[in-house]
Amino acid sequence: MSNTDVVAEVRAGTKRYPGVTALSDVDFAVRRGEVRALLGKNGAGKSTLIKVLSGAEHLDSGEALVRGKSLAGLGTRDVAALGVATVYQELSLVPEMTVAENLFLGAWPRSRAGLDRRRMRADAKEAMARIGVDIEVDRTVGSLGAAGQQLVEIARAVAQRPTLLILDEPTSSLAAAEVRQVIDVVRTVAEQGVAVIYVSHRMDEIRQVADTATVVRDGRIVETLPVRAASTHEIVAMMLGAAPEAVAARTRRPSAEPPVLSARGLVSDRLDGLDIDVRPGEILGIAGVLGSGRTETLRALVGLDRPAAGEIRLRGEAVRPGAFAAMLRAGLGMTPENRRREGIVPLMGVDENIVISDLGRVSRSGVLDRGAIRQAARALIDRLAIKTARPGTPIGTLSGGNQQKAVIARWLHAGSEVLLLDEPTRGVDVEAKRQIYGQMRRLADDGRAVVFVSSEMEELADVCDRIVVLRGGRAVAELSGDEIELTRVMALAIAED
Amino acid sequence: MSTTTPTGTPAATADTRRGRPGRDTQRLNEIGLVGAIVVLFVVLSATAPGFLSVTNQLAILRDAATIGVVAWAMTLVIVAGEIDISIGPAVAFSSVLLAKATGEWHVPFALSVLLCLVVGLLLGAGAGFLRARWGIPSFVATLGLWSALRGLAQYMTDGLPVPLEANGFLDLLAGSILGIPTPAIVMAVLFAVFLFVANRTAYGRSVFAVGGNAEAARLAGIGVSRIRVILFATTGLLAAVSGLLLAARLGSGNGGASVGLEFDVIAAVVIGGTSLAGGKGSLLGTLLGVAFITVIGNGLVLLGVNAFFQDVVRGVIIVGAVLINVLLSNRNGARSS
Ligand SMILES: Nc1ncnc2c1ncn2[C@@H]1O[C@H](COP(=O)(O)OP(=O)(O)OP(=O)(O)O)[C@@H](O)[C@H]1O
Ligand SMILES: [Mg+2]
Repeated sequence: MSNTDVVAEVRAGTKRYPGVTALSDVDFAVRRGEVRALLGKNGAGKSTLIKVLSGAEHLDSGEALVRGKSLAGLGTRDVAALGVATVYQELSLVPEMTVAENLFLGAWPRSRAGLDRRRMRADAKEAMARIGVDIEVDRTVGSLGAAGQQLVEIARAVAQRPTLLILDEPTSSLAAAEVRQVIDVVRTVAEQGVAVIYVSHRMDEIRQVADTATVVRDGRIVETLPVRAASTHEIVAMMLGAAPEAVAARTRRPSAEPPVLSARGLVSDRLDGLDIDVRPGEILGIAGVLGSGRTETLRALVGLDRPAAGEIRLRGEAVRPGAFAAMLRAGLGMTPENRRREGIVPLMGVDENIVISDLGRVSRSGVLDRGAIRQAARALIDRLAIKTARPGTPIGTLSGGNQQKAVIARWLHAGSEVLLLDEPTRGVDVEAKRQIYGQMRRLADDGRAVVFVSSEMEELADVCDRIVVLRGGRAVAELSGDEIELTRVMALAIAED
Repeated sequence: MSTTTPTGTPAATADTRRGRPGRDTQRLNEIGLVGAIVVLFVVLSATAPGFLSVTNQLAILRDAATIGVVAWAMTLVIVAGEIDISIGPAVAFSSVLLAKATGEWHVPFALSVLLCLVVGLLLGAGAGFLRARWGIPSFVATLGLWSALRGLAQYMTDGLPVPLEANGFLDLLAGSILGIPTPAIVMAVLFAVFLFVANRTAYGRSVFAVGGNAEAARLAGIGVSRIRVILFATTGLLAAVSGLLLAARLGSGNGGASVGLEFDVIAAVVIGGTSLAGGKGSLLGTLLGVAFITVIGNGLVLLGVNAFFQDVVRGVIIVGAVLINVLLSNRNGARSS
């Protein structure tokens, strides 16, 4: 490979934010036709490197080049014109617009009479077909779930026919089948000579998609190496800077206690007579493919949606469906799947984002107690190892995984008895995942109920005491204790009715 | 505050005192405003006859109160991502209501005052309810009030001032306490209250959360609807208070008064660095914004600028001030966030 093959490059790049050096003296290059994985813990600097290459951020010192041209002073539009297409970690679609409109946002096909809607729809269909996804292009993006939106975002980037395609955790909200699709698309695009930078926390996926991997730690590049030659253990050790702890032996303890929360025959748009029991003292996993009704189940349980039919009981008493505020008061808590849109208040500090779930707890006779806020936030920041410059740092500037931990911390602050976690490990690194599992286990051991929704069936199989498998809005199977095996869970989730 | 360093980042120890890019910008903006006000004072004391006289300075304080009393509440409304444009008519309506109640309707004076406050509160709450319950944009809900209240006030008075019988309370409102104009004292007390509410109460912080991300706030258990209703009820109430002060000063209820007041109030808030997009703002900024606008208005009068042309100058200066503010925050943002 010659140097002329280099599509994008960073030379001695340094980028500082208040309180952190996100990139420090980084050298990085990616060539045509190469799929390069970026690996590293939450906050290592992966997204920052990507933002530098897409023109969204500029280096404090050093140089960033795309096709030999320096990016100094260029904006995202100029860099896009150089052939860089980026899918950011946080989605950037307009929810009120249709899929087709979003695909060509700002570059809508025109005819002499203005917007050429027909061509736009045709092009949109083709773009979706190219990545092998079947989504109606006239639907509004807001009506798609997180996974659907993610696929639209990827289609949009690919449709620009880029020379450098950057994907920041494109699969974190996807289930196995869609992950497969994304991997295939990336491989195809790379074979056509496009350089790809691919960020993911999932090692198995990296192995399938990437040729080489660059490991980032604390803003520095540790090493770039061929993926095939390295073992997962080696790579993880590089990411962490130490050998990973051995995974603790699994202890499954399905609870025998009566359910604290239960639902019978829930019916709504996506639910079709769902029954479920949530017991104190255990981690209940909810498995299912995209559209099986996982998020809808949580929303109905916590009272955010009002099911058309069905009954929900809390500690044996029937509750009014849709009574969200009352459910929170009664000790439920939920972390949403879309962290950016529904989870964080970006301009507020990490501390306030955490205590917001129960301000009474940090007030004295109605007046907020600064000291108490700081103390409560500090304790949780330490407990979950949230990486933030200061407790008061605006949460919007934290790396994705750390934002997620803060959203979970919110319900630890509220002391919820029943915790519903929708994709809590989305975009979270291996170490942080283990910490989150540890917290879930600790809560269950404390006698609380934890409900864990995830598209990664591996982690469900690893940490849950009991798993309910959803298909088409009903609970089709329940596995508990030693019945839980990854292959069984998967088979049940994708089985045809 | 700066004792923690991010876990496991050796490079992160440097420069932990900065941070909070939003705060930095806010601070910059406030410093800039103080500078601008100082410059205005220097220029006006040199060019405008009598600007520095005690009488004129007290007049400035009195004028500031016309804007300031409502501006504190408006700051929170805007921080929550909402807007209330019904202020001018609400103030005028409240003054008319007081004059009518005490005069024509023979309601005892204290009761009339209470009536004004309660009606103001309920009208505001009504607009808030439209916003909270049915999602009618607050601009539209308060636009309705804006039109209806002005119309009602004019209709009830046939467009003529309704005289108010003087009494001790009104004299007090129109006069001074220890040499300071009463409206300015009311404004100062309310400022302290709002400063406290915004920063030290669950309600205040919830307002910031709702403005920053309403959906996240709702999922965190904040009663978003309740907060929206309270916000508009507060502006309604303070508009009524402003109306009482106005009636006391004019000695009458006046349906045509306070035209364009909402413009000054919103301008003061925005100049103070509160973002119309919500989630961000400060009462200190608004205080400076109120001072800035009032001093300019006073100076223009003293300089004998044509009354129509004064509006032109104010319009240009206000947009200019906000422009500088935006440019500052962009530059600061590019550097630090
Ligand atoms: N706009 C910003 N302002 C301040 N600090 C920032 C900003 N963006 C990122 N940072 C900080 O820079 C560091 C690197 O963040 P980055 O987003 O690159 O991490 P990452 O490797 O992508 O992590 P993740 O896996 O969680 O997405 C973090 O400590 C983060 O808090
Ligand atoms: Mg990232």
